[in-house]
Amino acid sequence: MMQRKLLVILENKPGALARVVGLFHQRGYNIESLHVDPVKDIENYAEIENSLNLKLKENEVSRLLITTTVSDNLLRQILRQINKLIDVLIAKEEI
Amino acid sequence: MKLAGNDILIQSLVDEGVEYLFGYPGGAALHIYDAIFNQKELQHILVRHEQGATHAADGYARATGKPGVVLVTSGPGATNAITGIATAFMDSIPMVVLSGQVASHLIGTDAFQETDMIGISRPIVKHSFSIESAEEIPKVIKEAFYIATSGRPGPVVIDIPKDTTAPDKLFEYSPPESVKIRSYNPPVEPDSKQIGRAVSEILKAKKPVIYAGGGAINSNASKELFELNELLNFPVTNTLMGLGVYPAKNQRFMGMLGMHGTYQSNMAMHNADLIIAIGARFDDRITNTPDLFAPNAKIIHFDVDQSSVSKIIEANIAVFGQVKNSLIELNKQLKDKIDSIDSTLIQPWLDQIEEWTSLHGLNHELYKENSDEKKIMPQSVVQHVYQITDGNAFVTSDVGQHQMFAAQYYHFNEPRKWINSGGLGTMGFGLPAALGVKLAFPKEEVVCITGEGSIQMCIQELSTCSQYDLPIKIININNEALGMVKQWQDMSYGGRHSESTYQSSLPNFIELVESYGHIGFKIEKNSDLKGILDEAFSIKDKLVFVDVYVDPDEHVYPMLVAPNGSLKDMWIDKDKKV
Repeated sequence: MMQRKLLVILENKPGALARVVGLFHQRGYNIESLHVDPVKDIENYAEIENSLNLKLKENEVSRLLITTTVSDNLLRQILRQINKLIDVLIAKEEI
Repeated sequence: MKLAGNDILIQSLVDEGVEYLFGYPGGAALHIYDAIFNQKELQHILVRHEQGATHAADGYARATGKPGVVLVTSGPGATNAITGIATAFMDSIPMVVLSGQVASHLIGTDAFQETDMIGISRPIVKHSFSIESAEEIPKVIKEAFYIATSGRPGPVVIDIPKDTTAPDKLFEYSPPESVKIRSYNPPVEPDSKQIGRAVSEILKAKKPVIYAGGGAINSNASKELFELNELLNFPVTNTLMGLGVYPAKNQRFMGMLGMHGTYQSNMAMHNADLIIAIGARFDDRITNTPDLFAPNAKIIHFDVDQSSVSKIIEANIAVFGQVKNSLIELNKQLKDKIDSIDSTLIQPWLDQIEEWTSLHGLNHELYKENSDEKKIMPQSVVQHVYQITDGNAFVTSDVGQHQMFAAQYYHFNEPRKWINSGGLGTMGFGLPAALGVKLAFPKEEVVCITGEGSIQMCIQELSTCSQYDLPIKIININNEALGMVKQWQDMSYGGRHSESTYQSSLPNFIELVESYGHIGFKIEKNSDLKGILDEAFSIKDKLVFVDVYVDPDEHVYPMLVAPNGSLKDMWIDKDKKV
């Protein structure tokens, strides 16, 4: 078990944040810290744009930074669950 | 074409090919109901409780593969639908639920019949939408149907504030031609390299088992699964949700596995060296104690949902994609290596399974018992129904002992014929689900195998069946107790039957169904069983309810030993543990 930092990029829509946060509770995971803001510095997300083959616009998506303490297996499971949410563009471990 | 929001909504549903809308009106949905009145293209089915609407839509969806559609009002209408939405969610059933909502300007004010449906349903939906304006209705409907039916299917809720369906404001109706959601791209085509790795494991296996579940039915992969096993001749087991995806009459079929699975299925899984999981998710009714599960098996897991793989049991080879497409590719690669398939490799294993089957397999000839010395066995009721319907009926069930007996003793040779709430285990599911199936297949025999506990949870739908002339058969396996609860109390709580019996409070079911205009029969003796069931099934134009009094002390076996047991640890009789 170690502390992990997750980065989630999701559509900046009403209710999208609640789906991610709610999922932690539903699946029995704990959030230790949470930071969310609309993405303005699009230029820093070129890698994500390329991997998803799309172009982001300012304030169109939100960036969510979550810290949680979990094992490797559980981390993989959490990321898969978050990535499954319809409004989530990508969820990954921030190293 | 200019239309009001309520007409836009109905037209969007018609454009999606919706035939039936299962629902119940109320204040916030009245504009929508007015639009239903003015058209003839889709038929609304008025249920007696919103839970019934969701189960009926669910039954329709499971039987047809098309999404079930529900319309309820705000507040209690929405909350009453929750159990049915959760049922569909747990079993990955495509469903679209339209819930009325108070007008936009009242949201958040604790208005009459206001509830936060998006919030309440969030953990049990695949996705949900709130309508903000009438103009976005066509796009939201299209996206909702796409999400409900693609990838791993599931229910989608659309919350519709009353003002967005107002009849006095007109908008141009221009439905989108296609749908693309940039953040939603479920896998379809498998990685052929992963399939290549699977092939080399398959060719080496000496003790393989194919373990197929509801995902294979959702993906319509029955034909491909059959073709796969024409090549391999491996033993096959199905989960409760997967029954019918592989024909039960096939020699290689071992029956269901898990908590009440057959002895041979559970033993084969435990001792396997290779488990090929196809659209199945290793849930706790299957694995028993995960750490003790199939200690020597490599796992190949085919699934459309990445989060189902290695969730409980670590997969050695994972293949993501629509199971149907994955099996097509697997079959192709196996055919290219047909000369490398050594059928003698698994012969000792097949012999071993045969031995297990003859040792503790289920007795499928209990129905031949007709002596009145003994009470009626619930298993034999299911066997009679199987004999009379030639195994061709759609069978819905509720939850409990009767459900397990139906799963064990009715042999399903086709997918989508066995309709039950596997994941959530919802009592009250069977009757409304049967209603939905009968609407979809009016000429087919639809049988609801239920118990006197479950049937009373949605018994009001007898009235709906009367209104729409739905001649289903209801077989009420009546043991005058909550049988499965009682079984657990017998086995784990020293026989203390806490709140699992109802003294003499059961209704006279015959008079009850007759008051709705249906036909009722009561059976209390073995010698009457065949004759009365034959008579009941000879009636084609009326709903028939058969109340069969069975041995109240009967238990469902095999039963896995829990906690801390593995798949090989089973009770196979009241006093015999293996």
